[in-house]
Formats: sequence, structure tokens, C-alpha cells
Amino acid sequence: MPSHQPMGRRARGKVPVAYLVPGFLVLAAFAAYPMFVLVRMSLSDVGPSNIVGDWPFVGLRNFADVLGTGEVWQSIWRTAFIAFFLLASNLIIGFMAASVLAIKGKLPTIVLGIMVFVWALPPLVSGSLWKFLLNDSGAINGILEAVGLPPAAWLSEPDLALWSVAAVIAWASLPFSILIIRGGLLAIPIDVLEAAEIDGASYWQSRFQIVLPLLRPTLWILGILTVLYAFKSFDFIYVLTRGGPGTVTSTLPVKSYNDAFSDFAMSTGATVAVVSMLFVVLLAIPYLRSLRKEVIE
Amino acid sequence: MIDRKTHRLFSVLAVLLGLIYLLPLLWIVLTSLKSNSEILQNPNALIFVPTFDTYAEVIGSGVGAVMTSLKIGVIVTLAVLVIGVPAAFALARRINPVWGRVIAAGLAVLLILQMVPQPMTVIPLYSVLAGWGLLGTLPGLILADIAMLLPFAIMLLRPFALAIPSALYEASELDGASTFQSFRMITVPMLSNGILTVTTVIFITVWGEFVFAINFLPEGTVLPIAGLLAQQNTTYAANWNSLMALAVLTALPLLILFFFAQKRLINGLSLGAVK
Repeated sequence: MPSHQPMGRRARGKVPVAYLVPGFLVLAAFAAYPMFVLVRMSLSDVGPSNIVGDWPFVGLRNFADVLGTGEVWQSIWRTAFIAFFLLASNLIIGFMAASVLAIKGKLPTIVLGIMVFVWALPPLVSGSLWKFLLNDSGAINGILEAVGLPPAAWLSEPDLALWSVAAVIAWASLPFSILIIRGGLLAIPIDVLEAAEIDGASYWQSRFQIVLPLLRPTLWILGILTVLYAFKSFDFIYVLTRGGPGTVTSTLPVKSYNDAFSDFAMSTGATVAVVSMLFVVLLAIPYLRSLRKEVIE
Repeated sequence: MIDRKTHRLFSVLAVLLGLIYLLPLLWIVLTSLKSNSEILQNPNALIFVPTFDTYAEVIGSGVGAVMTSLKIGVIVTLAVLVIGVPAAFALARRINPVWGRVIAAGLAVLLILQMVPQPMTVIPLYSVLAGWGLLGTLPGLILADIAMLLPFAIMLLRPFALAIPSALYEASELDGASTFQSFRMITVPMLSNGILTVTTVIFITVWGEFVFAINFLPEGTVLPIAGLLAQQNTTYAANWNSLMALAVLTALPLLILFFFAQKRLINGLSLGAVK
């Protein structure tokens, strides 16, 4: 302990190391060690026959192979497309919807309840639901026909599939961003808004000139979480299209899974996974910084 | 602050928003009550004779799957709490600068682990579990689930633990309490809100988990309900009513859980996620 501590105030308790040990052991064995194995796999030649056994070391050959073909770059672009789509919907629609749901009364509580329930549903369930709604003779095409518009092959038309998948993921993740933005809105002191009103600001003026700047830290974190969510967007695509038709909805996580478990090219899958991990870690840096500030305080 | 016209517009928009989320849910329930021939003839009919035949058909495999899901869900949730609550306690105690550095490092590791997408852990875990003889066993699946959810649980619990005033700990130490006594008498009771939030979120996540389940369980075992749904998704491509009945069956327990936990979930998540 530093000597400048006032006398009489002894060291504040023992360091609770023992409380971290069980968590440390489980995570070391089943989370950190597998990450090490993943990297080793990407540097070796592993197929279905030698998954248990010797892995011949091949250096960076897998990376050269994977990055040398156009496929992985297309997957990177698709992942980026989903990330941008989600950013637009989670931040812009999320902010508008959170403002709408900030009105008084029972109505917003009920709507928010329904939305959060949908968000809490397993992606598998909501994914199956949309697979049904979007199929060729599904309800969405039924509605289009009823109003006289031509039906579309939402999930099997190559030009459309990625948009449909992105829209379903946006539908499923919007409730969470509304929840977060609404939390930020409710934390804004009411007298700040009242002062603006007295100064003659209209509702929309105070929205854009006062509320939005105050929400900046919240929106910043939500933005990072949203981009990360795009890298995790596996379940929905697995249920809706499995990466197809062809490979048009094969984002990075879908590609690495399909490489490893459909084509049994474990090394290729691991290499794609390591490439996407690099993106994830890059995104983690600003998030880690904000966290460190909090700890140092 | 909002004039009457805007308020009316916002009410209409709120109702629309609610419908965008409610109508698809009603649609699966409606579809699950249709007969096979009805689906083939007229999949979008609004008027039809409801039948529970599909449920009778699905329930045979469904009950076993629900039991498997319950077993996995309860064990994983309990284990995550037993390991996660002490860890969150330790990572929220500011004792000295050295420990502060341990906390910062621990949080950084947890954060990165929490960000790793699941389809990327499934590849190396497959080989790790195979090497340790745990592939194709329930304990293997449970350990993988625990390791996946633990970082998230600790990060969600920590803000709740931070909110406990350190003066309480100092007072109990002056009274001669050991660290374990403080943990048991102060931390655990004061964390009850956080623990309930985490219990709900973890249980819901495990209930919907299918990627580990379809890869780590041996063929021929009773899959958990989410695994069953994932499997039927390919086999029953045209049997929409069975698929929807199974989806309803998967969602139903969550609806019940949600009714009891809704308020806590909404408040707890906005606290844990932003901090």
C-alpha cells in the first residue's frame, strides 16, 4: 500500500483473487485456449481426417490462399453492407422511434413491451418467421398482390437477398437500440429542455440542437455495438438463406462456418475467422479506451 | 413540450411501430393453427377452421426437446451465476492501484471474449472438445455454453456491483467480517436485481442457442428445442405449419418468463449495456 494513506485507515481488505479463479479457469480452458487453437489452425493444414491428430505447419499459406481469392473480399463487403444498413436503421430510425416512444401515456409502454419481447426471441424463431413471411407464396407477397403490386422472390433473387436479410436483422435489432437511446433520452435533465423552450426553441429545434448532442456518447457506443452485431449476424442468415443463393448472403461468419462445417476445410474456416477477428479487435479499441477511463476514475 | 398535433402524430406512429412487431407474431400463431391442406391451398387465408392437429403432431418430439432445453438452461444459468457473481464482485472492488490494474486487464479480456462471434468459436471448440473426449457429450455442450455466456454475464453484473457503496464494505471490515462474509451479507443481497436480470438474459440465450447444440451433440440424441427447430428448418422446408408450431413452442416459455421479468429486463439492460 502507498505510504501516503492516512494513519488508522488500514489497507481496505484483502485482494479478492480467489473470487476470480473459477471464472479464470473456465474461460482459460473453453474461451481463451480455443482462440489459441483457432490461430494455430489457421497456420496449419487441418481437414476432416486430422482434426484430432497432428497438424502440419504451413505458415501463412492459408492466408495467402484465402486473401488471394475474391471470395473473402466479397464476404468482407457483404459484412460491411450489413453493418452500414444496421447503422442507418439503428441510429436514425432508432432515434426517431425512441423520440416517438418518449411521449407520455400507456401506449409507448405497451409498444415497447412488444418490441422488447421480439428482441428477446431467439434469432432462430424470428428468422424462421421471416423465412415464412418472405417465401414466394408468403404473406408479404400476398399483401403486395392484394394491392396490385408484383410479387418478388425476396430470399432467392440474388440482387434482393442481401437487402432482405439486412432488413430482417434490422427489424430484430431495432428494439435494443430504441431501449438504449430511450435510456439516454430519459437521463437528459428536464430543466435543460424547459430552458430551451422558454428561449423559444421549437420541439424539433431542441431535438436536433440539444438532445442529439447530449446523446452523442450513447450513440457512439451503440454504433460500435451495432457494427459488432453485424459481425455476429450469423443466426439469421443461417436460418434465412444459409449464405445463398450461391454465396450472395455469405458474410464473414457465415463463410467461415460453411467452409469449416459444410466443406470440412477447417483451416480455411479458421483463417477466415482470424481475419474477421482482426476487424473485431480493431473495433474493440475505442470501446476499451472508454472503459479504461471509467476504471481510472 | 410537445404540441397536440405532434402528440397525435406520435401516437399514430407508435401504434404503427407496434403493429410492425405484433402482426408477424400473430401470423405465426395463426399459421400454426392451420391444417396441412389449408396451407397448401391458401397459405395467406385469414378465415379458416382452426385445428390443433399440427401441435398434436409436433408435441411428440417437442416434449423431449423442451426437457433437454430445460436441463441445459437450468444447469448453464446456475453455473454462470455461481462463477460470475463472485467474479463481478472481485472486479468491482477498488482496493489498491495494483488491483485496479488487474481489474482493467480483466475487463479488457472479458470484453474481447464477449465480442468473439460464436460461429468463430465453434470451429476451434470442435477440435478442443474432441481432443478432451468431450465432443458429442452433454457436459461438453454445457461447458461451451458457460464459457460463451460468462463474459457477458460478468459485464452485465459489474455495474450493479459498482453501485454498492464501498463504505458498506469498510464498515463490515471494521466489524471484523472476512471477505467471504462481506460477499455473502452485502454483495449477494444487494445484487439481487442484477442477478435476476442476468438469470433471465442467460436463460433466454441458452434456450435459443443452436449452433453449439447441432455441432456438439451426438447424432440420434434428443436435441434441445432450438436445435430441433434449426434441423426442421431444412427438412420441413414446405411444412410451414409444423415449423411455425415448433417456433411457437420454442417462444412460449419465453413469453411466460418475459411477463414476469419485463420491467426488470428493460431497466437492467439499459443500465448494463451503456456502462
